[in-house]
Amino acid sequence: MGEVKSKKRSGAFGEAPNDTIPGVLTTTSGAICNFLKKTKAQDLINWGRKNSLWFMTQPMGCCGVEMIAMGCAHYDTDRFGIIPRNSPRQADVMLISGYVTKKYLPALKRLWEQMPAPKWVICFGDCSISGGPFYESYSTVQNIEELFPVDVFVPGCPPRPEAMLQGFVELQNKIKAKKDRGTEY
Amino acid sequence: MDAKTIIESLTREFPEAVSKPEIESEIRIWAYVDWAKTKEVCQFLKDSLQFDHLSNLSGVDYPKRNEMEVVYHIASYAHPVVLMLKAVLSRADPKVESVVPVYWNANWYERETYELYGIVFENHPDLRALLLPEEMLGEWPLRKDYEGFPNKTARNLV
Amino acid sequence: MEEFVGSDEMILHLGPQHPMQPGPFRLNLKLKGETVVDADLEIGFIHKGIEKILENRTYLQGITIVDRICYLVALSNEECFVGCVEKLAGIEVPERSQYIRVIMGELTRIQSHLLGMGEFGEFIGFVSMFMYTIKEREEILSLIDMVTGARITHAYLRFGGVREDLPEGFKEKALPVLNSLKKTIDDYEEMFHTDSIYRERTVGVGTLTADSAKALGVSGPALRATGVDFDIRKAEPYLVYNDLDFKVCTETAGDIFARIQVRLNEIRESIYILEQCLDQIPSGPLFPENTPYGRRTPVMRVPAGEVFHRVEDPRGEMGMYMISDGSDKPYRVKVRGPFFPTLQALPPLIIGTTVADVAAISGSMDGCTSEADR
Repeated sequence: MGEVKSKKRSGAFGEAPNDTIPGVLTTTSGAICNFLKKTKAQDLINWGRKNSLWFMTQPMGCCGVEMIAMGCAHYDTDRFGIIPRNSPRQADVMLISGYVTKKYLPALKRLWEQMPAPKWVICFGDCSISGGPFYESYSTVQNIEELFPVDVFVPGCPPRPEAMLQGFVELQNKIKAKKDRGTEY
Repeated sequence: MDAKTIIESLTREFPEAVSKPEIESEIRIWAYVDWAKTKEVCQFLKDSLQFDHLSNLSGVDYPKRNEMEVVYHIASYAHPVVLMLKAVLSRADPKVESVVPVYWNANWYERETYELYGIVFENHPDLRALLLPEEMLGEWPLRKDYEGFPNKTARNLV
Repeated sequence: MEEFVGSDEMILHLGPQHPMQPGPFRLNLKLKGETVVDADLEIGFIHKGIEKILENRTYLQGITIVDRICYLVALSNEECFVGCVEKLAGIEVPERSQYIRVIMGELTRIQSHLLGMGEFGEFIGFVSMFMYTIKEREEILSLIDMVTGARITHAYLRFGGVREDLPEGFKEKALPVLNSLKKTIDDYEEMFHTDSIYRERTVGVGTLTADSAKALGVSGPALRATGVDFDIRKAEPYLVYNDLDFKVCTETAGDIFARIQVRLNEIRESIYILEQCLDQIPSGPLFPENTPYGRRTPVMRVPAGEVFHRVEDPRGEMGMYMISDGSDKPYRVKVRGPFFPTLQALPPLIIGTTVADVAAISGSMDGCTSEADR
């Protein structure tokens, strides 16, 4: 999200950065966003966002297989606008679908940075919540929620595709209620 | 080719390097091998006794005996016998001759055993970490006296 | 791989997150134009230290851990682990349990091959294939679900038997699914044989000869596609595979097309095995009588010894080397996964091919990175 540079405010869209043309108000897109967040228009934007949650396919563990099953023919998440995308640059939701190892963590952080805002994280399965069966392992990183702003946790080892769908529904409800951590309100 | 013939020809060829052969069953036989001679023994097995498939290679740590073992499971596509070769190494300076020139697929097994146990495979073409990140090399996590296990950092446990 | 890059060369990193991968690994390619001149693999991105964890769990707890070595074929991992303990402790499995294990193992093989073929289809840009096979796979998974209560990680086998008996009406539910699967497999085969684009992507690409496959240590369908009839179910029979009638599916071409054909034929053979098992399965107890072994064997001490047990995984030869020191935990478990050597053999296979074929070749190996990393 962009930022308004000046602290002085004039007019609805914040101060014009360069007041060279008299009578013409110029602004930045960030200022428009900040203004919209206070209005009913944000509800409309969130309605659009919650109905097109594209997730990044990134199978990391057992839950990755269920994630594939969820995105395919039988469970068919496309009907909710939840579509698998291969590239992080086209995705809105990152699914941490398994144990994060010390070796994989830098790559995962980079994937997260490559995703454009607004973006959300869902922790799938016990491994990403509490370590799961590998909570004692020497090579896994624990306490993932300290590293990423996680919105929804889906417990299970692995969770069934129905549970994963429910996780997405919870995320949609959070976005609708403007309580998600992916957007700054 | 049956288990008895294999053991006989192996001990005849290497009377000093191969010791304590044992026939566990018709398809499983054991023998101990000198750590400096693993390559020659494996070459003989592959050329003369049709053991053309390295099925498994693993390390084992015995801190009580102050020893380490490298265990080779060598199988064949032609006959059902699996030979378990064991090389006993000293725990202070574990090293063994690499078998990569004989069995190509030993490469990753040896790299894995090296990073998990610290066993050095001499004349290995590219001995570096395979599974662990570079900074964990030197911790030897699968040794019995490794202190990083259990990892106690998880907080959300129920 | 040499770090030096010539003036007309470039290095391309595929991964750790890439659509052509079954899990995270990194493939570093050195390209000269479109041709791969050098390749190097980095694995270990999901190395979770299963071997160390198994040393610190009791035998019964170990079953849940080995489920997660390769999550696509959890039951064949369990079969290997449980087989090791049974050999060490000298437990005789009753015949009914053996048949149930064969049934579950073959169902696992079918669903794994279906997912593997679908993934491969996706890698070469044939995404419809993925949707078809996943739909069939769901049917098989619901059969497995009916017996074990889980879709992927089951913890179903026990030392000396299985946790639950087959439910009522399993045969009546299974047979229609298998019959419809037979027709679908015929459809797939026709599709593969007639689709000219598919043939162009697969015939003569990524060819392995029998000698090179043996030298590289490749096993499973990739080896059998070169004409070597090496199958642990025949070479070293376990359970009741000796009493069952099936043949080892081989092809001779050794290319991608042959590998997929072997998988199709193996699904047919598995269906045939399943039909035999469902007909022949005897009634009787699930666990050996007059022994302490049962669904829950709370404290189990296994006699000291060493064992190397092999089973035929859908991806090839799966082995476990277990050392027991007489306590209630294994002293050492080494998992010899089939995909570890197969993945290792990937760089020699792709050197000299074009970038477009890399995804096809790597997909035709039907990978599971989790099992290579453990």
